[in-house]
Amino acid sequence: MSEASARKLGDDLLRPLLRTSWRFYALVAFLGSIVLTGLCTWAYQVYNGFGITGINNPIFWAFYITNFVFWIGISHAGTLISAILRLVNAGWRRPVTRCAEVITVFALMIGALFPIIHLGRPWLFFWLIPYPSNRQIWPNFRSPLVWDFFAINTYLTGSVLFLVLPMIPDFALVRDKATGVRQKVYAALALGWQGTPKQWHRLESAMSIMAIAIIPVAVSVHTIVSFDFSMAPVPMWHSTMFGPYFVAGAIFSGIAGLIVAMAALRKFLHLEEYLHPVHFQNLGKLLLLMSLLWSYFVFAERLTIWYGNESSEVAVLNVTQKGSFAPLYWTMVVCNFVVPFFIMSIKRLRTIAGCVIASFCVLIGMWLERFLIVVPSLGHKYLPYAWGTYRPRPVEIIITMSTFAAMTLLYTLFSKFVPIISIWEMKAGEHPSPALFPAATREHALGETHA
Amino acid sequence: MPHKWGMAVDLDRCTGCGACVTACHAENNIPTVGPAQAARGRAMHWLRVERYWEGDFPDVRLTFRPVMCQHCDAAPCEPVCPTYASHHTDEGLNAQVYNRCIGTRYCANACPYSVRFFDFFNPQWPKPLHLQLNPDVSVREVGVMEKCTFCVQRIRAVEIDAKAEKRELKDGDVKPACVQGCSARALVFGDLNDPESEVSRLSRSPRGSKLLEDVGTLPKVTYLERQTQV
Amino acid sequence: MDRRDFIKLTAVTGTSATLASCGNSEHQLIRFVPDEDLVPGVAEWKPGVCPLCAAGCGLSVRVMEADVETVRNGQAGVVKMGVAKKLEGQAGHPISQGGLCARGQAAIQVTYHPDRLAHPLKRSGARGAGELKEVTWDEAIAELVGHLDALAAAQDQKSLAFLTRPRRGRRLALAAEFLNRFGAPAPVPFELFGEEVLRRANAISFGHEQLPTFDLARSRFVIAFGADFLGTWNSPVAQNAAYGAMRQGRPGQRGAFVQVESRMSLTGANADQWVPVKPGTDGVLALGLAHVMLSNKLRPADAAGRAGAAIDGWSGGLADYTPARVEQVTGVSAKRVDRLARELVELGPAVAMIGGAPLAHTNGLFHALAVNALNGLLGAVGQPGGVFFTPGFQPSVPGPQVPSPQALQNLSAKVLLVDDVNPVFGAPKAWKVREALAKIPFIASFSSFLDETSSLADLILPDHSFLESWVDSTPESGALEAVTTVAGPVMKPLYQTRATADVLIEVAGKLKSPIALPWKTAEEVAKSQPPAPSPQSPPAARSPERLALRKYSEPVFDGDAAQYPFHFLPYMSQQFGDGSTAHLPWLQEMPDPLTSAMWSSWVEINPQTAERLEIAQGDLVDITSPHGVVRAPAMIFPGVAPDVIAMPVGQGHETFTRYASNRGVNPIGILAPATDAETGALAWAATRVKIARAGGGNGSLIMFAGEMREHPHEHETR
Ligand SMILES: Nc1nc2c(c(=O)[nH]1)N[C@H]1C(S)=C(S)[C@@H](COP(=O)(O)OP(=O)(O)OC[C@H]3O[C@@H](n4cnc5c(=O)[nH]c(N)nc54)[C@H](O)[C@@H]3O)O[C@H]1N2
Ligand code: SF4
Ligand code: SF4
Ligand code: SF4
Ligand code: SF4
Ligand code: SF4
Repeated sequence: MSEASARKLGDDLLRPLLRTSWRFYALVAFLGSIVLTGLCTWAYQVYNGFGITGINNPIFWAFYITNFVFWIGISHAGTLISAILRLVNAGWRRPVTRCAEVITVFALMIGALFPIIHLGRPWLFFWLIPYPSNRQIWPNFRSPLVWDFFAINTYLTGSVLFLVLPMIPDFALVRDKATGVRQKVYAALALGWQGTPKQWHRLESAMSIMAIAIIPVAVSVHTIVSFDFSMAPVPMWHSTMFGPYFVAGAIFSGIAGLIVAMAALRKFLHLEEYLHPVHFQNLGKLLLLMSLLWSYFVFAERLTIWYGNESSEVAVLNVTQKGSFAPLYWTMVVCNFVVPFFIMSIKRLRTIAGCVIASFCVLIGMWLERFLIVVPSLGHKYLPYAWGTYRPRPVEIIITMSTFAAMTLLYTLFSKFVPIISIWEMKAGEHPSPALFPAATREHALGETHA
Repeated sequence: MPHKWGMAVDLDRCTGCGACVTACHAENNIPTVGPAQAARGRAMHWLRVERYWEGDFPDVRLTFRPVMCQHCDAAPCEPVCPTYASHHTDEGLNAQVYNRCIGTRYCANACPYSVRFFDFFNPQWPKPLHLQLNPDVSVREVGVMEKCTFCVQRIRAVEIDAKAEKRELKDGDVKPACVQGCSARALVFGDLNDPESEVSRLSRSPRGSKLLEDVGTLPKVTYLERQTQV
Repeated sequence: MDRRDFIKLTAVTGTSATLASCGNSEHQLIRFVPDEDLVPGVAEWKPGVCPLCAAGCGLSVRVMEADVETVRNGQAGVVKMGVAKKLEGQAGHPISQGGLCARGQAAIQVTYHPDRLAHPLKRSGARGAGELKEVTWDEAIAELVGHLDALAAAQDQKSLAFLTRPRRGRRLALAAEFLNRFGAPAPVPFELFGEEVLRRANAISFGHEQLPTFDLARSRFVIAFGADFLGTWNSPVAQNAAYGAMRQGRPGQRGAFVQVESRMSLTGANADQWVPVKPGTDGVLALGLAHVMLSNKLRPADAAGRAGAAIDGWSGGLADYTPARVEQVTGVSAKRVDRLARELVELGPAVAMIGGAPLAHTNGLFHALAVNALNGLLGAVGQPGGVFFTPGFQPSVPGPQVPSPQALQNLSAKVLLVDDVNPVFGAPKAWKVREALAKIPFIASFSSFLDETSSLADLILPDHSFLESWVDSTPESGALEAVTTVAGPVMKPLYQTRATADVLIEVAGKLKSPIALPWKTAEEVAKSQPPAPSPQSPPAARSPERLALRKYSEPVFDGDAAQYPFHFLPYMSQQFGDGSTAHLPWLQEMPDPLTSAMWSSWVEINPQTAERLEIAQGDLVDITSPHGVVRAPAMIFPGVAPDVIAMPVGQGHETFTRYASNRGVNPIGILAPATDAETGALAWAATRVKIARAGGGNGSLIMFAGEMREHPHEHETR
């Protein structure tokens, strides 16, 4: 790699860290105020009692659990995708991995808040944590909620490591460029990175191990989240396919989230030279694949229930397909299947804009999918006398919106303090050595844009 | 052998009068939530009398079915509870330990009978309605799950008395409030481990069946079907 | 220790100091020495009587110690005292037999109601404006005595009137004695769902002016005409107990049961056969059954005895009541009439019942007599499994029990005393009770609550609750043996209230010319036995015209059938009865057994009718009679005839505590002032109405149940 292009790369990717415009402050203030509103709303809910939500007697879970599953699903964007891409040595992954991995960490953090937000007595949330209480009572290890605790924490720990390890060389780079306090902070973060072959070798081994280890963890996380539902004898929850169905849905929504995030970064951080249309196209193809897989699951699920004609399940099926939830259901089908299918399978439409539109639809559709898994079933369990329906209340809507703001805020702040594209990996892509890292294919060579 | 408490509901005796519903409120300090909350699906009835219409006028029929916690031997509400607030006792009761409950509401989703009720707010008894509260039953605070306990306080009281008097419990000694209040004698409570008890006898009746038997919850409430004119 | 001798023991200085520092000096906590030796946490059981209906169920009251905020000798404080915790049916009581109805279970809230009146009140603003000021008992009694003395001084003792609920036990006997000795007319009873027609019919048919008791436990076949005997009618707890035994109390023998009515009641829901009939034609069906029995010689005509003799055409085998004609009049198919008649005879012992709506028509007495005759023919009178009359029953006040518009409107009284009755709510608007009361210069009420009637009073002398005073009851039905229940107070009064009996005795003694009453205290009144029943003379001798033969006359409905196409059927609510228990929150929130509605009013409409009129569940509907209009949400109700519109009574109070005020509507308001032709009793089922959708739902229909069918999709696809 030439000196010049290396410098340009460093300049481009470090620019956001070293220069701050008023727009950044405005954005942070805006997002921050929404997040603050969400926090106040939560405090209000805790103070006034859970009753100010729209939850009611048959429908004990609704928006918050929908958000929980949704955000944990989004978290599959990053670590899982980047691990897979790393393992298959997909060269085009280089500019993508970090912005993907960050999504995982933040989405997990937000998702993991929801089980606490939705508690009737959130001040006692620590009773979910496995420790022997003063009366030697452990949590109940048979409860899927306790499995969630382990799964999410394992995934979060793994994902943070997976994100942070390859950041070390970049921290060293900032350390070397920055001055003052910044230099001190990044020096600490760089953990004494000198770029010695031994260090490179260790980093690479660690990343290979992590990439392998994180995949089953990621798969298990959403499987376990699906177990929150499928372990309960609730019509249309109690399903053997929920594990793979949830994982597929998670990856599906994760890719959509990643595409949207990348498009935003590309536009706002002026990374057009790094995030190319081909990146979007490739992710778009993946999105199409997942859309088809997701649709297959939905079809298989609905067909067996319809054909099996078990009355309690048919009641749920009917209310979603043609009853009061039908508008939401068919919106979901359009968002998750019709739109992505048409945009992604027509090459001419598979542009960045096309990918973003499809991804937005998928995000909406997947949120609806989670809602439609949670609510109609709870409203139509076995005894029709106890059926009910659900309307969200302002608290739930505000808290839901504020988590989207929180995600954006965290992402903005992250890209402010950490190079959002891994500089050294980009450089490595330009360079045949060190040997463990494959060279970029021609079409991904730095600085060239491709249609 | 420990007791195994169970109930039999004779649907041929039950008239749907609802006395059991109010009796349960009176005994168990169940809050009244008021019209606004009731309209939002927050009314609490540990025991409800389900009614279902069959047919159309004039060949129309109505059936009643009192449904309370079935104290399932394989209770889906128990394993899912992360804090053991919902758990099984030695005497076969599905116990609900309010102080352990953190309000995940998972148990209520898992219960196929939809008999678990959540305290959406702190209960209110404008004075002096608080004087009606039964001191033997704890008042539940906001954020916890509650449900029929088979009037465990009455079971314990009778057990303690019997122990103090050094005698065995007799069939019929324990009467939960709903059983006590039912003038049609549709509800019978007792020890299923005593093959001679009335509840055991009724549970073996050919008219008997369990609610949602195929869900596999092994309920301890037996419903004796309503008969038709011979 | 007398409760008036409480000594103030200690001011809990720590507490009062803290509270005082919050600026709440009037909240200083005074602890009074408890005057009972209850062991904390240990329950005692004391007997009582449920006051909420005439059935007179015996109670077992669980009493435990509690801290009660109260006022003693004008000093607010806290006392540990025994308080009622739970009401249960008294085991072994001949009526309640250990059980209670939902209302009885909730009766405890009468005592602990947050809006109970705690002390005497005197009107200070315009009448009915709700401006009342607290007065002492001495002032209140002096005021009442003053008004009575004024009447006496003017030699106008006849202008004292006493309005009450009928059959109020010995306390009503006291009132009657008081009035009698004062020189005033006898108490005027008021009851919306009175059973005067049936009492009269029983006097004519059987010589007992009394409600019947049924030996259901030994019946094999029961046919009930309109009587909601498992829900609200007569003695529901005793009848539920007997019903359970009839169904499953005899191994291998299950009693069968047919209900005849035009709107499925709780009782109808339990029937093996539910037979809808056209309103006001029940007696025709009964006689049709008799016709089949007579013409097929299944039973001899003379079996009916004097009950049969009261029916025109009986001796001729009821030629007018062939199954074909019965089908024409009642809408019940001739085949069914024939089959039912045969079942009644074959599956005996059989018994017939009548009550409620069939008797609330202009031809009500005819129906009652017809069913009585049917019972005679079935041999059910006084026989195991049949109909009985509780021996020894004496109404506490003799004389008319019929609440008539005349009696209420012509209260030309100058002083009116109102005891435990609310005719302003419970009488049809057309009776103009409110207007009649407005003309009375002085009204005193003994009510514990401000309701539509007591809020018109000039003076309120609140009674103790039934748990705080001596109570007694001698129900007229419900048991095969004579029952009198007397119980003392189970707890000390919570407030500055006084037993009405004590107040009347005190007033009697304080009059310028004192009245000597045979009792000194409320306790003596409750404990005193009614005078031994005089040997009953045969009614024929008393009033020969009662034996005049009864011929079926078409029921007359108020309102033109073309303009008002629907029969209007208000019915007694399982929770609220006639509305007098609408203030109890447990009952407001108890799901109605048939509809699951809570805290609501509703109007029941047949699904086809609703579809035709494009009315959906919860839509607001205007129900218009010639006498007014009410607006209520629609309840699609498969168990009501397409030409009948039914509404529960009980809601729609203007003033009746925080729980019942301005909640729902009162269907009584639009009733026609029609009466049964012979007894003068209100024919509350004789009004016609029209209905129209008035708009979408406004959320006022609150239901507990989600679905009304167990397999909703199967019903849809049928
Ligand atoms: N949480 C907690 N519980 C405890 C204890 C503790 O430290 N903490 N301590 C335990 C011990 S050691 C004890 S001794 C017990 C005490 O328990 P209790 O005996 O219940 O003691 P107090 O709460 O003082 O209640 C005594 C009541 O007696 C009434 N009283 C006062 N004077 C008289 C009188 O002259 N005559 C009558 N008839 N009544 C009167 C007062 O109204 C007061 O309400 O509590 C035991 N329970
Ligand atoms: S009290 Fe008895 S008869 Fe009445 S609804 Fe309950 S179980 Fe049925
Ligand atoms: S009925 Fe429901 S709450 Fe009761 S034990 Fe069974 S699952 Fe648990
Ligand atoms: S709501 Fe309470 S009892 Fe139910 S699962 Fe959660 S912690 Fe357990
Ligand atoms: S057993 Fe007790 S807690 Fe359960 S329904 Fe009956 S009265 Fe209520
Ligand atoms: S029937 Fe019900 S309301 Fe009437 S006295 Fe008995 S318990 Fe009370």
